[in-house]
Amino acid sequence: MTSAIQQLLANLPPAIQVTDPDVLATYLTDFRHKYTGCTAAVLKPRTTDEVVNIVRACNAHNVPLVPQGGNTGYCAGATPDDSGDQIVISLERLNQIRHFDPDNRSITVEAGMVLSDIQDHCENHGLLCPLALGSQQSCQIGGNISTNAGGVNVVRYGMSREMVLGLEVVLADGSVLDTLSPLRKDNTGYAVDQLFIGAEGSLGIITAATLKLQSLPKQRFTGFLAVASRQCLPKLLSDIQAETGDLVSSFEYMAADAIQHLLNKKPEHRLPVSSGHRHYVLIELGTSASKLPLTDLAEAALAEQIEANIVLDAAVASNEAQRAAFWAIRESIPEGEVLNGASVKHDVAVSVSNLPSFIDQAAGIVTSTGPGCRLSIYGHVGDGNVHFNVLCPEGSNEIDHTWIEVNLSPHIYELAAKMHGTFSAEHGIGQVKLALNAQYGNAKKQALMRDIKRALDPNNLMNPGKMLPLG
Amino acid sequence: MKALVTCKRVLDPYIKARINADGSAVNLDNVKMAMNPFDEIAVEEALRLKEAGSVTEVVAVSIGGPKSEETLRQALAMGADRAILVESDQDIEPLAVAKVLKAVCDEEQPGLVLMGKQAIDGDSNQAGQMLAGMLNWAQGTFISEIKIDGETANVTREIDGGLEKLSLKLPAVVTADLRLNEPRYASLPNIMKAKKKPLDKKPLADMGIDTAKRIEIVGLSEPAERQAGVMVDSVAALVEKLKTEAKVI
Repeated sequence: MTSAIQQLLANLPPAIQVTDPDVLATYLTDFRHKYTGCTAAVLKPRTTDEVVNIVRACNAHNVPLVPQGGNTGYCAGATPDDSGDQIVISLERLNQIRHFDPDNRSITVEAGMVLSDIQDHCENHGLLCPLALGSQQSCQIGGNISTNAGGVNVVRYGMSREMVLGLEVVLADGSVLDTLSPLRKDNTGYAVDQLFIGAEGSLGIITAATLKLQSLPKQRFTGFLAVASRQCLPKLLSDIQAETGDLVSSFEYMAADAIQHLLNKKPEHRLPVSSGHRHYVLIELGTSASKLPLTDLAEAALAEQIEANIVLDAAVASNEAQRAAFWAIRESIPEGEVLNGASVKHDVAVSVSNLPSFIDQAAGIVTSTGPGCRLSIYGHVGDGNVHFNVLCPEGSNEIDHTWIEVNLSPHIYELAAKMHGTFSAEHGIGQVKLALNAQYGNAKKQALMRDIKRALDPNNLMNPGKMLPLG
Repeated sequence: MKALVTCKRVLDPYIKARINADGSAVNLDNVKMAMNPFDEIAVEEALRLKEAGSVTEVVAVSIGGPKSEETLRQALAMGADRAILVESDQDIEPLAVAKVLKAVCDEEQPGLVLMGKQAIDGDSNQAGQMLAGMLNWAQGTFISEIKIDGETANVTREIDGGLEKLSLKLPAVVTADLRLNEPRYASLPNIMKAKKKPLDKKPLADMGIDTAKRIEIVGLSEPAERQAGVMVDSVAALVEKLKTEAKVI
């Protein structure tokens, strides 16, 4: 332990320090087990004041901080480096609801609150917290906001950014920015709190947020579709949106291979429609209007698509158990990849209209350049976001993940860039995508980001080396 | 042989049941309803028997309000041939259910009645047994397997501590347990077709059956809420709490 860290810890209450190496270990490896860092202690503040004290002490002793939420990120943005000079600050004990205002449709929560706990609280009071993603049982809202998390409802409700009305942030100098506003309209200057959304803790530590809530759906329609081609996906979604009055909350594409990897290892999942198709979609519509004939609307819209041979087969969940089984397939695809040796992930977004053509061309690159490589392609069609994941050939010794990253990934990102897309739609930059950002990111934007970083964190103590390269 | 299957509309078992403020009943306003899952298994088995050639026609029957038509449409979408809705605006007791089903059987003359072992709302587990008694037919309850062999239904019952195999002389009443099968999903083309399948409605009031209530529900209450857990700082603190508070060691 460096003397700076020793002095830092001596100045902080022991009750918020964790130094047991077995416990520390769970904070030091990223969710995908690709990066393992080193730290002398994890600090677990219970109040914003304690966060302030920590940041001040870090300033006094020049110790960099790595904020961490549920540690479910894909880009190792919450994992410290291996120098041992950085301190991890976990927000997990800041997990209270500060204020719930059903008439204003807002809730103010602390950063460490687990997303599903917020969802449950709102639901018990007849409202919807629309942020929903695979890791919602363990991810924390502070991390969701710091990474501007997306998920499965973006087509209807937008990313995290669109749900945040205000924030409480402990800045790099230990002062507190409090914009925990219940307001939807407040044109009084730069949208400074937006800077912290998606900043991965590089500008300050989010300690609380006011979130915008929605009406709780009273009816849902969940369908599992076999679709004729990828090309028809954008129009299929657009047609159903038009026919149903924009009630689609999820429209999740799954290529047959992505599902098959899962079914091969986990046969307890049951494909809800006939097999042998190449493209599948999980569609969900919802409305809070209990008298709206949602099922009739959705069935009629889908029947037209069946008539037109766009939808080849469709199963409709007739109860919540079936709905859960449909979603379990979609949400278990990443698990299917892990059980097949894990994948190299490409979290690409292009315009919705370009999505089919991007996937086709990228698949062409993999087939011609990486013989035997397996694909796991799925994504959120309504956002133009595809998880274009590549698995090594079965039993191959020559082609490993590094080979794919060196020989395939650049072409895939090159193609995305050519189509005005992005190499990181919802996963962020962290430390995993720093090099990609340098290569494909917007240079002027990054110069501005460096200016902002210098202005807000002159001593470079807030999660250094994430989002922007060191130096 | 014709098979009759029962389809009760109940609160979706995945939804948390909430009791009305006055404690008189479970709140069913604006909550998701579904086919009783054991009935869904019974429908699936009837369809499999039809696909195996043991049954020629599958008739779904429900007793309930207008919304029970949706439940029957689901059975039709799964593959039942036609449906009968006995219209009743009140939730009738198992004895009355058995009487109504007896009247339907007298008219339809099925060779086999397949029912869920119980409905997950009242959990009575009575209607099937009473119906078999009234019809003086053989009965097989809690079945996990059924095979039709001529005039006989060979069933496996799930009983405490094992399995019991019975040969039932047809016609018979059998009630389905959880492990009998995994029901199929309704496909959209079949849902559309089901909208055109015959569904007869008979008002319960016209059947001349005494369905007067014999059971009075005195009150309902939620299960006691579990106390939240506490994190202890050390093994010593845990042992201390187990001794002094939980008093288990």
